[in-house]
Amino acid sequence: MIPSRLRTPNPHLGAYYGIVTSAFVSLIIILAVFEQLGWGRLLLAQCMMLVPLALYLLIAVGSRTFEVEDYFVSGRRVPPVFNGFALAAIAVGGVGFLAYTGTVFFLGFDALAIGLGWTFGMLLAAILFVPYLRKAGSYTLPSFLGHRFRSRGLRMAASVMQLPPTAFLVVAEIKIAALIAALFLSISFSIAVLVLVALIAAIAILGGMRSLTWTASAEFLVGAVGLTVVVTTVSIILTNVPAPQLTYGEMFSSLHNAEITAGLTPLVPGGLATALPGAMPAPTVKPFLQPFGSLGPMDFATLFLSLALGTAALPSLLMRSGVTSSIADQRRSTAWGLLFVALFVMTVPAIAAFTKLIVFRDIALASASSLPVWLTELADKHLLQAADANGDGAIGAAELLIGRDGIALALPWAAGLPYVPCLLMATAALAIALAAAAAHLFTLAASLAEDLYRVLDRGQALPRLIAAWAAIAACSLAAAMFLMIAEVDPLKAALTAFAFAGASFFPTLLLAIWWRRCTKWGAFAAMTAGFLVMLGELVFGGMLGFSNAGFTTSLASLIGALLGLVAGVTVSLYLHKPSQGEDDYYEEMRDPEGEAIYDRAQARTAAQAAARASAAAEAAPSR
Amino acid sequence: MATEVPANQHPARDRHQLQTLILAITLLLTALLAVLVVIASATWLNRYGFVHFPLGFYLLAQGLLIFIVAVAFWFIRIQERIDLARSEREGLG
Repeated sequence: MIPSRLRTPNPHLGAYYGIVTSAFVSLIIILAVFEQLGWGRLLLAQCMMLVPLALYLLIAVGSRTFEVEDYFVSGRRVPPVFNGFALAAIAVGGVGFLAYTGTVFFLGFDALAIGLGWTFGMLLAAILFVPYLRKAGSYTLPSFLGHRFRSRGLRMAASVMQLPPTAFLVVAEIKIAALIAALFLSISFSIAVLVLVALIAAIAILGGMRSLTWTASAEFLVGAVGLTVVVTTVSIILTNVPAPQLTYGEMFSSLHNAEITAGLTPLVPGGLATALPGAMPAPTVKPFLQPFGSLGPMDFATLFLSLALGTAALPSLLMRSGVTSSIADQRRSTAWGLLFVALFVMTVPAIAAFTKLIVFRDIALASASSLPVWLTELADKHLLQAADANGDGAIGAAELLIGRDGIALALPWAAGLPYVPCLLMATAALAIALAAAAAHLFTLAASLAEDLYRVLDRGQALPRLIAAWAAIAACSLAAAMFLMIAEVDPLKAALTAFAFAGASFFPTLLLAIWWRRCTKWGAFAAMTAGFLVMLGELVFGGMLGFSNAGFTTSLASLIGALLGLVAGVTVSLYLHKPSQGEDDYYEEMRDPEGEAIYDRAQARTAAQAAARASAAAEAAPSR
Repeated sequence: MATEVPANQHPARDRHQLQTLILAITLLLTALLAVLVVIASATWLNRYGFVHFPLGFYLLAQGLLIFIVAVAFWFIRIQERIDLARSEREGLG
């Protein structure tokens, strides 16, 4: 077995992804030309969206594998920048791309807590968890806990507690992707769900982590190109400077005037439970720059901390901690991921401010009988509704109902760009949503196969890869069926998922990695305490009026994490001391040198099996 | 005069773990305090401007993010030095 630090990544990766990016840019240019030549909108949408989908599938077929190490950790030879692409796509996801942008549009200043929480959470993960998980080398987060504490029961419990956060994120991301596909490809939501679920399941089954890495890299590049082209173009139109992150501040005085004209007045801070915008179209009520109008400073800090802990302990992100060739590379890849997430988070307020300025400025100038063309087009797409309810001949802010998840998609329309840039933004969001959905699906299914099935079925009737394929197929089917019968708000599902991850896994990982004295019962208590607090909030929150009393999901997550930490420390100190095996594992995990612990154990097992086979072969002729 | 290190003592390992812990706590507390201070004083900071942005808004939307990214890359540099020092000490030992 070649040591992972000596494995060299494919030297042509840069060229391959340069070709992928060039091909996508060429597709944009060709379709822009065809739009001017009179191609229909549906045909343009099909070409813009289906060609990249075919490309992702092609990449997955090209990176298919039957090797267990390739399937679960991509052969431990992913270059740091490419892992950074995948990490950023998973952390942001379609929910970040569309729902977070919409939340910034509605809440302005107050929504910045979400982006800041993601970024700080990536820093927490990079410093506290990632290097040590890389050294451990386990394929899933529950298997790391199982190996660290020599406990099958803990591994299975962690797998069960990992279900809610990953399942919520899977359905949230698939819903965002299906909404985009249904909107632009003129297909029903159910068909869109089935097609997209089949696609991500195929990608995950073909090559597991390996195909997910290479498709996510392509999806990240498509998302980055789409976002950059559209937002930079709008920035040039509005400010003459192609740097939206730096120039949207110039628009604030115009935005303020437009908001006053539309009838927006400063708000009094309310509770977090009612502050976040829902998925249904709603009027804008808060001025963009007003600080702490919807969330007070404490709510802001609570939301920030909850998302930071949730991002740091998110199983789908941490599962990628074993894919690079060394601990140093793994640290670098997390920093790259953090950089890409930060660039996206810095761009989102520009998208929201530009959209809000154009919407309110154009509406202030128009009468109710002659609305702008883009407004009619967006209303046809169900992205907003405008009606002169009070009959004063104008549309005010209260009469304009806007869909939260359509804000980013509405920007190119409102800026008067042709149809291809509108499709480009949608394709970018679809790409990021698919990358995140596939990663969450694989995390969920791999844990079910590796940490539940393989532990429960000692005989292991199914080989590892077949068990993983079956789990992926079952999870995909369940996610698709759930989305067809249940109404899911992607933003709330994602925030709940982050809250679950932060409450259950943050204190557990902190103790497991940074405290030698932590025992398996301490880890179990830490994980269970946080999980039960979140479960209580989820099940009884509305019924017992916790939400009205201010015990929101974010606050419950912080309380759960704190209780988990206290429970973990108390139980570890009061029950037996860690075994010698646990102590040795801790020391090995903290040593930055050497191979991954899991790989060494696998190599030892293989060597022992080979020695037994050799001994049997030598003994056979003598009989 | 050289002194023998008892077999149950690992000075290089313990020093490495202590330095790693101090680095992690320092960086995370610095970043967390910076964020919390800006949140607490955002309304006051908004009285001042920075490249057409209210300062409080700018820091939460961009300034702190740039700071966090810088902290992450700086962490990598320092941690790699700490890891290298452990390897060298263990090599000498």
